Amino acid sequence: MTKKLLSFLLLGLFVLSLAGCGLLFPNKPTEGPTTQPTTQPSSQPTTAPTTVPGVERTIDFELEETGGQTEYSLDPTVLPNRPTKNPDASYTYNLASNGLPTAWNIHTYQSNASTLVLDYCEDSFYTFDFNEELNGYRILPAMASQMPVDVTEDYVGETWGIAQGDKGKAYKVTLRHDLKFEDGTPIKAVDFVESVKWLLNPQAANYRADSVYSGSFKIVNAESYFKGGTYAYGAFVSAAYGEDEYVYPTDWTYSEEGILQCNGKDVAIKVGTLGNWSPSATYGLERYAQAGYFGQPRTVVTVGEGEEAQEFVKYASEDLETVVWRTMEVVGEGEEADYVWYADNEGQPDLDNEVVVTDKPDSYYLGDPDEDDDAVAIAWANCPDPESVYAILLSSQDEKGYIQLTEELVKMVQDCVAILHGFEDVEAYAEDSGDYAYVEFEEMAFLGSTYEEVDFETVGIKVDPEDEYSIIFILEKELTGFYLNYSLCTSMYLVDTTLYESLIGESQGVYTNSYGTSVDTYKSFGPYKLTYFLKDSQITMEKNAQWYGYTLEENANNYWTTKIVVKQVEKASDRLNMFLRGSTDSYGLQAEDMNDYQSSDYTYYTEGDSTWFVAINPDFAAYESMQADAEPVTPGNKVYKTILAYKEFRMALSFSLDRANYALTLDPLGGVAKAVYGNMIISDPENGTAYRTTEQAKDVILKFWDLADEVGEDGIYETKEEAIESITGYDLAGAKTLFEEAYNKWVADGCISAQDIESGNWEIQIMIGQPGSGSSAYYNDGYVYLGRVWADAVTGTPLEGHLTFKQSAPLGTTDFSKYLKNNTVDVLFGVGWTGSALDPYGLMEAYVAPNYQYDPAWDTSSTMLDIEIGGYTLRASVFDWGKSALSGDTIKALIVEDGVLTNDYVMIHCGTTCKPEIRLDVLAAVEGAVLDQYDMIPTLLDASATLKGMKIKYGVEEYVFGVGRGGIKYMTFNYTDDEWAQYIANSDNLVDGVLPYKK
Amino acid sequence: MYLLKYISKRLALMLVTFFIIVMGCFVLVKLLPNIPAEQFGKDMEVILARREKLGYNLPIIQQFWRFLKYAFQGDFGVSEQLYIGSEVWQIFVDKLPYTVAVNVYSIFLSIPLGLGLGIIAAIRKNKWQDHLISTGVMIFVSIPSFIYGFIVKYLLCYKLKWFEPLMDASQGPWSFRAFETMIPAILCLSFSSIAGFARYTRAELSEVLTSDYLLLARTKGLSRQQATIRHALRNSMVPIFPMILGEFISIMGGSLIIEQMFTIPGVGKLYINSVQATPPDYNFFMLDTVFYTFIGLFAGIIVDISYGIIDPRIRMGAR
Repeated sequence: MTKKLLSFLLLGLFVLSLAGCGLLFPNKPTEGPTTQPTTQPSSQPTTAPTTVPGVERTIDFELEETGGQTEYSLDPTVLPNRPTKNPDASYTYNLASNGLPTAWNIHTYQSNASTLVLDYCEDSFYTFDFNEELNGYRILPAMASQMPVDVTEDYVGETWGIAQGDKGKAYKVTLRHDLKFEDGTPIKAVDFVESVKWLLNPQAANYRADSVYSGSFKIVNAESYFKGGTYAYGAFVSAAYGEDEYVYPTDWTYSEEGILQCNGKDVAIKVGTLGNWSPSATYGLERYAQAGYFGQPRTVVTVGEGEEAQEFVKYASEDLETVVWRTMEVVGEGEEADYVWYADNEGQPDLDNEVVVTDKPDSYYLGDPDEDDDAVAIAWANCPDPESVYAILLSSQDEKGYIQLTEELVKMVQDCVAILHGFEDVEAYAEDSGDYAYVEFEEMAFLGSTYEEVDFETVGIKVDPEDEYSIIFILEKELTGFYLNYSLCTSMYLVDTTLYESLIGESQGVYTNSYGTSVDTYKSFGPYKLTYFLKDSQITMEKNAQWYGYTLEENANNYWTTKIVVKQVEKASDRLNMFLRGSTDSYGLQAEDMNDYQSSDYTYYTEGDSTWFVAINPDFAAYESMQADAEPVTPGNKVYKTILAYKEFRMALSFSLDRANYALTLDPLGGVAKAVYGNMIISDPENGTAYRTTEQAKDVILKFWDLADEVGEDGIYETKEEAIESITGYDLAGAKTLFEEAYNKWVADGCISAQDIESGNWEIQIMIGQPGSGSSAYYNDGYVYLGRVWADAVTGTPLEGHLTFKQSAPLGTTDFSKYLKNNTVDVLFGVGWTGSALDPYGLMEAYVAPNYQYDPAWDTSSTMLDIEIGGYTLRASVFDWGKSALSGDTIKALIVEDGVLTNDYVMIHCGTTCKPEIRLDVLAAVEGAVLDQYDMIPTLLDASATLKGMKIKYGVEEYVFGVGRGGIKYMTFNYTDDEWAQYIANSDNLVDGVLPYKK
Repeated sequence: MYLLKYISKRLALMLVTFFIIVMGCFVLVKLLPNIPAEQFGKDMEVILARREKLGYNLPIIQQFWRFLKYAFQGDFGVSEQLYIGSEVWQIFVDKLPYTVAVNVYSIFLSIPLGLGLGIIAAIRKNKWQDHLISTGVMIFVSIPSFIYGFIVKYLLCYKLKWFEPLMDASQGPWSFRAFETMIPAILCLSFSSIAGFARYTRAELSEVLTSDYLLLARTKGLSRQQATIRHALRNSMVPIFPMILGEFISIMGGSLIIEQMFTIPGVGKLYINSVQATPPDYNFFMLDTVFYTFIGLFAGIIVDISYGIIDPRIRMGAR
């Protein structure tokens, strides 16, 4: 008996193992069904309304040459009115954190927690410090002795790819001569160069290696050195639309394997990228295919005759092998006629080895899911016509998604491009456009090759031959001003190379390095050094006597802290208790603490750079489809969703949200969001100007909240700031009116039958998505809150009692937006985009580019936006302004005169070399356009609150971007350690046994 | 001879079971979806290159053999998620003493108290002492240890201020400072063990105290105390001792909640953290699997064999 049981167990495990290896059955699709997008993106300029050719006019939008680097005042910042420290006393800064770093090797770290050690124990060439007015930042030298010097002209030549006259491609950073590691080992330029060499060690595949070859600070040949000997895809065949970049068919060659080669490199495309058509877009032919561009004409079989006739369309399954059929019928007449796909076993074509669709229109099963465990669900979106060129391309992808182009596939890609231009195939396109038709695909084709193994000597970082304390950086792309200095606010991955080398090992045949995992495996070169580390328990850092900064006169009264002790305490209540008893000097307030401490004199609020939205994707057709399948909340009701596509309805949802109350209920730390961007977004990094303080940004808010006419002598508010401050976002009466307007329009459009209205058995059902794993109080409480608020808001309107809500299953923590994009859920809340605090221009892409938009149903390429620039009213699509122009691509904007669109145009971009005022005008206008859709309704601003201990005092009271409140450098102490111990031991200083931090 | 054969058979079965569990866990954890390389916002090639080097692209069976090959050499790999760059075995060994310490103290407290209370309850069966102890036992057996955690921390640490609420591990797991600050955690872990030992001892001893041979012992002139200690207690220990042994071996399993509540840097959370990491920390997960599976299986064998050693009348494997 035991043997039999064991045998079964073994057999089960064996089968499981095979299944895991994919040997038993093919992988099931992991994604759910997706609906076809209703919009088709276009990065092409809007065409003129008539065929009369227009005249190009010019606007002076380019920033004038400034003649080089910004001049910086290098005088050290000295904060006024500070107490003087006792040089003999000890000042310990005690902290408790819910997680401690487990490793802080700067070449490999992945977790933000690692920065706890790096921030205190490492230094950088340059650093952010307060400006002279203490209300902003500036960048000052730290490990460097002066600002970087442009030495581009010294490196002109083919070796470095620098042409005569180039600027901003090579820099010299001169180090201080008194830099040392914690053990006194001097630090010179060679240490930085060697460190970068270790960072780029091809054997290591270090996580941070790409920091020196991707992004704006791109060191020459760093990527080649790192990837030497490996096969990879790099630049596009035609990277800049340059005429000399195209390789014409006469010059094409094919490898022995039959792969097309240009200039000796393999040519490949990816269906998920548009290449140079839109380098940052993560969509490509795939999206056009889903929009039906390449799937037509499909194979259609008609069965039966006359009225009985049914048409079956041939599709391929995801594996492109099994053929399936589904039926369709035409519904409606004339212009309203449309195909409706449905499943039916009746009248199926009798064809061998082919499967007939028997399930829902949006997905189907191979096999019966009720009886057969092996039934495979397949989404229609993944079922291209097996005969289509796209399907064949798709089947040729390698595991990384690249399609190496054979002669046959080249023709297919050419045809795809031709189809996008409205031609049947490439030959037809060539008749119209000449030979360009044959090579246009090269703009989206990658060049693949084996990276040449290069010597580190060819990498653009080296010791200045004339000065052992100077490092030369040679960059692939020009970089100047703030972004250059910002890129150099790092230590350039400095490690103690001797120690680093000694820690290289091998485990399971793989390179390992344990640098930065303990006190013994790490060397500090910053203001503090690691003196104690117990995993998941405690970190202690003490002053690093070897740090040059302590010898500087300006720091005589800075860096009071002699020791930093951080303990890991996972429960917030324990951290609070420690703080209240004086064991720690800072505590990050939690939502549940806010009732007690939100008004405390010791509470400091810090706004983050994220805005959280209620997101809606108003796709009328998708709503129609979803409402047909939806189960009513109230049995017997008919479900409707299409009213969500009405802007008035979405506006009403917005106005019925009392944001302050919403924040108090769900996220007491959060602030009220009034626009797409919050107050921490910097629009002018060079000067540290916050976007929301600019006139353009203020005007957007006032216009959106209809307060533009209420400011000034005739208005309610004296200043714009006062008006903005008054905005709550809450207007219940207005919301009710809008609900009624939306309802009336909706009824008038015939979206609900008179029969249903009369019976009253109908509901507008809103499926609210639940990002995360299902345990989030924020999303669970928020669902209840929104349901209650919105249901109350429709009281007294025709929608009263007809608004119902459902909460989706947990959508996961990463890719939850796709459920809104494909309208599986109707609303997401508490979602948005984070990061890019210094680049709101680039971040705007997230709101207007279909591949990022939460609401791709909003076709930004067909929504026109007029902007006043240079005395002209310019019209282009929101996509062109927000995605292309702001990212630096030149767009064609048509001129509007007296409200009439002309054929005259202006070629313009709003990239980094555009005048700041024009950039701001465009950014603000696009922000206004995004807000005006009411698809992304701003609700909360990301913020945090901290209780500051009585023992310490921040450098400044107001938070400054980049510098905070002065950090450890400017923090002072009200008590020495001894004094503090006495203070908290004295019961007179306590209330109920704890320090009195409550208001 | 029988015992030797029995042990050999059990060991062989243990190895087969061990292999099956380890292989099953390996396959299952590898079947969990990995994060697509694109989602790191990094150069995808870097992520893919690392995965290639780690053998993630091999068929799972090949990866398993690769794991076995290195595991037999004592190389369980390096952490790729939780403690990047550190050898998982070293991390495990570093943290294990903290878990062992708190559990050893807990058992040393539980055994005398549990046995003592059980003996009192058995001797004073159906008296008020028995009722009091049995009621207490029922309560403490039923309540999970983390509930004691809240009560102990609030009452003894914050209200009465007898103990520090969090462990101070800075002087090592076996230091007095560690012991002193571990007391609340030790108490929490001990309550259910004490109750368990007491209940079991009471039941066994009660049965023995009413047996014929104990009556004989009394009739031949032994006092109640002599009969209880020399005969009853010793015989009742036959089933109790393996239970104590099992507790000792399982102490390395750790206590996830208690360790977290009292900030004990032990191994309790490693297992769950390794599988919750995205992507999972495969090497940690497999080391934990190997370790705990082995401990569990080995404990079973030791307990079984101990029956025969404690009571020579029990002959394992005899027909």
